[in-house]
Amino acid sequence: MTLEAAAGQALSGISVGMVLFLIAVGLSIIFGTLKVLNLAHGSIYMVGGFLCFGFTSALAHVPGAFWWTLILAPLAVALLGGLIEILLLRRIYDQDVLYQYILTFGLILILGESCKFIWGVGYHTVSAPWPVEGKIPIWGLSFPVYNLFLIGCGVVVFLGLLALMRYTGLGRMIRAVTYNREMANALGVNVPRVYTGVFMLGCWLAGLAGTLMPPMSVVALGSDMAVIIECFIIVVIGGLGSLPGAFLGAVILGLLTAFGIYVIPKLAVAFAFLLMIAILIIRPWGLMGKPE
Amino acid sequence: MTKRLARTFPSHRLTLLFTLLVLLLLVPLILKASWASLATEMLIMALAGCALNVMLGYTGMVSFGPAGLYAVGAYTTAILLSRYHSSFVLAVLGAPILAGIVGVIVGWFCVRRSATYFALLTLAFSQIIWTVIFEWYDFTGGDNGIVSIPIPEFFFTISYCYYFTLAIVAGCLTLLWTIVQSPFGKTLQAIRENPGRTEFIAIHLKRYQLAAFTLSSVFLGVAGSLYCVFSGSVFPDYAHWVKSTDMLVVCLLGGFYHFAGPMVGAMVYILLSKLIAKQTMFWMFFLGAIIIFLVLFMRNGIVGFISEKLASALGRASESGAKEGSR
Repeated sequence: MTLEAAAGQALSGISVGMVLFLIAVGLSIIFGTLKVLNLAHGSIYMVGGFLCFGFTSALAHVPGAFWWTLILAPLAVALLGGLIEILLLRRIYDQDVLYQYILTFGLILILGESCKFIWGVGYHTVSAPWPVEGKIPIWGLSFPVYNLFLIGCGVVVFLGLLALMRYTGLGRMIRAVTYNREMANALGVNVPRVYTGVFMLGCWLAGLAGTLMPPMSVVALGSDMAVIIECFIIVVIGGLGSLPGAFLGAVILGLLTAFGIYVIPKLAVAFAFLLMIAILIIRPWGLMGKPE
Repeated sequence: MTKRLARTFPSHRLTLLFTLLVLLLLVPLILKASWASLATEMLIMALAGCALNVMLGYTGMVSFGPAGLYAVGAYTTAILLSRYHSSFVLAVLGAPILAGIVGVIVGWFCVRRSATYFALLTLAFSQIIWTVIFEWYDFTGGDNGIVSIPIPEFFFTISYCYYFTLAIVAGCLTLLWTIVQSPFGKTLQAIRENPGRTEFIAIHLKRYQLAAFTLSSVFLGVAGSLYCVFSGSVFPDYAHWVKSTDMLVVCLLGGFYHFAGPMVGAMVYILLSKLIAKQTMFWMFFLGAIIIFLVLFMRNGIVGFISEKLASALGRASESGAKEGSR
């Protein structure tokens, strides 16, 4: 492998990792606060991807269609998430966790089939928008600009989330509810509203990932399960509920997959599984998580 | 209480069981061949559901990966028959053994983490099994699967295949019933009800959970092997998460706090799926809607629902009747 190939592979690995980070961090925050494992999170990402295709083709005549989509699609996904939380999830918080899993599993089927119904079974593509299309030379090597843009987005969202949690009143409220729901409630925090808000935030992040992914890849059915499995690996590696853990896990997974392809092309995903198994043996609570 | 399981096996239930067995024996004689094949599918699904329910309903471990072990069973039989030309008995017996071995290995990793991580891990492991089957063309046939497996000609007649399946499923279910009624089964239920307190009385949680996982894997292997004999072919789809959903829904639909739940669930589910799939290509949408309806409004499934109704009806008649009916 030449240096150029290695650098290119690393870059594309990290940029895929960044998109996965956006999804996994949403899963992780929702779990941390609501104690709900949203199995349908990958489907929410997929809905974001299809909405990206839908909005960009509907707005094709508007200049900067992709950038409008980047604002609108994640918001639409967040609204969908809000509806799911208010209409469905809210009714089963006091039930056995088993029912949460099964309910969100049912959502996977409903969202997947709805996408199939609306957009069909074919592949859809979205081209990278100005000014992040094409390639850029760095140190004599050429990189796709869009990958750099994705990495930028991932880092900005990561820092933004850290700042939100640490320095704002909203973040304090979320942390309070995460830490002790009853006490936060007694101190006047509107817990149901925080729950809805956090769920919408998680879905917004998944929607953002779904909107950012299509120019680098394709919009297709079945990406929901592929992505949710990768997110599970990330949160097991990084530790469920941890922000930096999701970031670290996503970068590791992205790089592993990118370089794994060179070693055994078909079983690249096996490396991620092996790492996950290793972590489970050595440090079952994840790299950045806390022991139970 | 719905969560409390029957300690005894009262006589009216024996009568019911006997009637059911007679009806099942009559199926190929009075119904058309297509119904016999549907009934075979139901029996296999009932066994898979009951096997999963040892984990789900009795031990309270939510597994999203039963299809992986089911596929291990199916592929063991298929590969032993078609690649190694082994005897039929060996091929069928090999399935639960290999599924059990894979179950021990996968289970050992999975029970290291509780609840949420457990669910994640079972899903991830079943996807590993699916990937291996899908990518290992030389051995498993990849996405082409293995077709025209040399099963004995005896099973080409659907009624013989049905009776074979019925015998094996009945035997396995009796065995499972004995196991869940044994002290071991009671311990599993104690773990479901309160893991912390069960540990206080010096029960090694992880060991029992692993035992439940393995037990469930062995019987899932039997179900997979039976399906391979029934259909004469195997495909990677058997290990796919959609198949796991089928099994979970079967348990949920019937009610997983009852031993008979998955059996009733399998019957209703397969009938429903054939009926709805005939009408629409978006069958999964309706499946999802049914799941959400069940979770929101009928958490104890059909058997739970009926026995609650039965309990209140009997309760009006007599106090003791309510106790009996609600089990």
